[in-house]
Amino acid sequence: MANYDISVAHLYGNLMNTYGDYGNIIALTYYAKQIGVSVDYHLVSLGDEFDAIAYDFVLFGGGQDYEETIVANDLKSKTNQLHDYIENDGALLAICGGFQLLGKYMIMADGTKVDGIGVMDHYTTNMYDDKLTTLTGERLTGNIVIKNNETDETYHGFENHQGRTFLGESERSLGTVISGNGNNGMDKTEGVIYRNVYGSYFHGPIFTRNGNLAKRVLITILNKKYPTIDWHSMLEAVETETF
Amino acid sequence: MTLKSSIARATAKTTYWFLRNILHRGGTSLPGKLAVSIDPDILKTIQQDFDLIIVTGTNGKTLTTALITRVLESGGYQVITNPSGSNMIQGITGTLVTTKVKTSPNGKKPLAVLEVDEANVEKITAAIQPKMFVLTNIFRDQMDRYGEIYTTYDKIVTGIKNAPESLVLANGDSPIFMRGDFTNPRRYFGFNHVSPANYQPDVAPINTDGILSPTDNSVLHYDFITYANLGQYFSTTDKFSRPKLNYQVTSIDDLTPRYSTFSIDNTPLRIEIGGLYNIYNALAAFSVGREFGVAPEQIKKAFESNAQIFGRQEAINVDGKDVIIVLIKNPVGTNSVIDMMLSEKDEFSLLALLNANYADGIDTSWIWDAEFEKLHDTNIQAVATGGERYKDLQVRLKMAGFTEQAVYEDLSKVVTAIKSLPTKKVYIAATYTAMLQLREQLSTKGYIKGGF
Ligand SMILES: [Zn+2]
Repeated sequence: MANYDISVAHLYGNLMNTYGDYGNIIALTYYAKQIGVSVDYHLVSLGDEFDAIAYDFVLFGGGQDYEETIVANDLKSKTNQLHDYIENDGALLAICGGFQLLGKYMIMADGTKVDGIGVMDHYTTNMYDDKLTTLTGERLTGNIVIKNNETDETYHGFENHQGRTFLGESERSLGTVISGNGNNGMDKTEGVIYRNVYGSYFHGPIFTRNGNLAKRVLITILNKKYPTIDWHSMLEAVETETF
Repeated sequence: MTLKSSIARATAKTTYWFLRNILHRGGTSLPGKLAVSIDPDILKTIQQDFDLIIVTGTNGKTLTTALITRVLESGGYQVITNPSGSNMIQGITGTLVTTKVKTSPNGKKPLAVLEVDEANVEKITAAIQPKMFVLTNIFRDQMDRYGEIYTTYDKIVTGIKNAPESLVLANGDSPIFMRGDFTNPRRYFGFNHVSPANYQPDVAPINTDGILSPTDNSVLHYDFITYANLGQYFSTTDKFSRPKLNYQVTSIDDLTPRYSTFSIDNTPLRIEIGGLYNIYNALAAFSVGREFGVAPEQIKKAFESNAQIFGRQEAINVDGKDVIIVLIKNPVGTNSVIDMMLSEKDEFSLLALLNANYADGIDTSWIWDAEFEKLHDTNIQAVATGGERYKDLQVRLKMAGFTEQAVYEDLSKVVTAIKSLPTKKVYIAATYTAMLQLREQLSTKGYIKGGF
C-alpha cells in the first residue's frame, strides 16, 4: 500500500549508536508505515559522501568518546553538504554527540577540544568547566521531562552526558526542563530547534517514547516532499505512543 | 609467612567460618576486608602457594571460570576458584585467604582460577603476578555504570602491564584485543569453522560496538561473523586482519537451545547449554586446559561429566508448561538469546520482563539495540510483556511488529501469565531484578524450591 517513500540517512550509524539511537528510525518507520509511507534506510559513514539533496531525514546519534573523535575528523568533509541540507529546511534529529558535533566545538571529558562543524551556533564544554554554577564534575544522568512551550507538548526521556551545551542566539531549546538537568544543568534548556533540526540529549530513544514529536517531525518531512497531501489528518488517526 | 599475615589469615578464616556456619551467609568480602586491614600485603604473602589465572571480560566470565576449573581439575590440578559474583578485590582476597591450598594430584603447583571484574584486574595484579590472563570479550554493558568499551579495556590493560611476563590468552575474534601497548606474550582462540568457499563478506550490523581497526580506525570487514563484532575480520585499507589462532573451533555440528555439539582442534565436544556464545566459553576453557597440558580427551570428559555447571539457564515446570528462564541485560546478550530461540524447533511463547533498577541498569534505551525483529523468524506464537518498565518493552515489541501482547505490570500475576500463553513451551526473558521478583513469585507458589 506504500505509494510514498522517504529516504533516511543514518549518519555514522555504525559508530554513533550508543544508546539505542536507531530506535528513532524504528519509531519513524512505525508511524510512516501506518499511513502508507515506506522508509528507505541509508547508512552514511566514514569516507562516504553525504548528498544534500538525496535525503528527507537525517539521524545523527551519539557515540563513545573514542568513536566521536574519529567521526569529528571525517565530518569535516561533509560540512558543506550538511550546511546546505539544514539551510534548505531538511529534517534532522541529532542526539548527544551528534547534537554536539553540529555546533562550534566540544570539550571532551579529558579536556581535549574537538571542533564541531559549526553549521549551528551552540557549543559544548565539559563537566569541569569553571563557568558551571552547579553539578561541577558530575555526569548528568537520570530521567528527564521537558515541555515545549510553543507546541505545549511534554517529552519524557533519559539523559546521560558529561558535556554541557549552551545554545547560540539563533537557536531555541527543544523544551524547558520540568525535571532533570537538560543541556547544562543551569539554564533550564534541553535540546535545540533550529529550522527543521531537532537536537537533544534524550535517550530512550526520543521518538519511541514521544510519539508526539515523532509524528511532528514526520509531518514536516512529508509536507516538504509531498505538499499537496493532508498528512496531519492522516497521522492524527494513528495512535500515539508516549510513556 | 609473617606474624601479621598469619593473624590476617586467621581472622579472615574465623570470620568466614562464623558467617557461614552461624549466620549462614556465604560471603567472602568481609573476611577479605578484614584480612587486608590487618595486613595490606596479605595477597603478596600468599601468592607463592599457587599460580594464578585471571578470567576477565564482559560476558561469560562466570561460566568460563567454572569450565576452566573443571578442565584443570580433570587434568589433575588442585584448583581454587571464587564463587560467582565475588569478583572484586575484597571478595577475591577473602576467597584466597580462607581457602586451604592442597597439593595437586598431578604433582604440579596448585592453580587459582579467578573471575575478576574488569576494573579490579589492576588491583589484583598490583599484588600478584598471574601466570595467565584470559580475555573473553568486551561489550557495552549498562553504560550508566561501567563506561565505554575502550575505557574498560584500558583498565584491563593497566592490570596486564603490572605483569609483563604473564601470557595473555585472548579471544582472537574480538578486534579490541588486538589493541593495547603491552609487551606480554599473546595467544589467541577463535572460530575457524567456515571454509573459504563459504565466506560471506560483510560488515558488522550497525548496532555493534568495537568495529574499528586498531591500525587506522577504518571500519573492519569480515569473512564471517559469529555474533556481534566477533568473527574473522580484516581491514580493507591495510594488511591488518585477525591474528593466527592457536586454538580454534573447527566445526559446529548441532545448535539447539539445550545443548551444542562442535569440534575444537578437531576434537568433537558437547556442552549441555545452548547458545553460540557458550561455545566461546568452552573454547576459552579448552585453550587454558591445553596450555596447562590437559589432554583433549580429559577436557571432553570434563565438559560431559559436569553437566550441572551449565545450570544457569533454568528449566522449570509450571502446571504442565515447560518454562525456560533466561537473563537479559544488554543488547549483545539479548541478541544471543534471540539467536538461541532461532534454534528452537518447538512452538513457543515469550514473556519478556523489564525492570530498570540499579542492578538492571537504570537506562532502558538498550532494548532498542536488541534485534527483537528477528523473533519473526522463530517458531514464536505469542508475546507477553511485564515488569516495572513493561511499557518500554511493550512499545519496543509493538514496533517490532508484535501488535498483540498481553501485558503484566504486576509480577504477582506471573503464574497466570504463564498459563495464559498458548504454547507448552514458554521462554521468560528477564532483567536481573525482574528475575529475582519472578523467582520469588515462583518460589512462593511452590514451583521452585528454596531461596531465590
Ligand atoms: Zn549520549
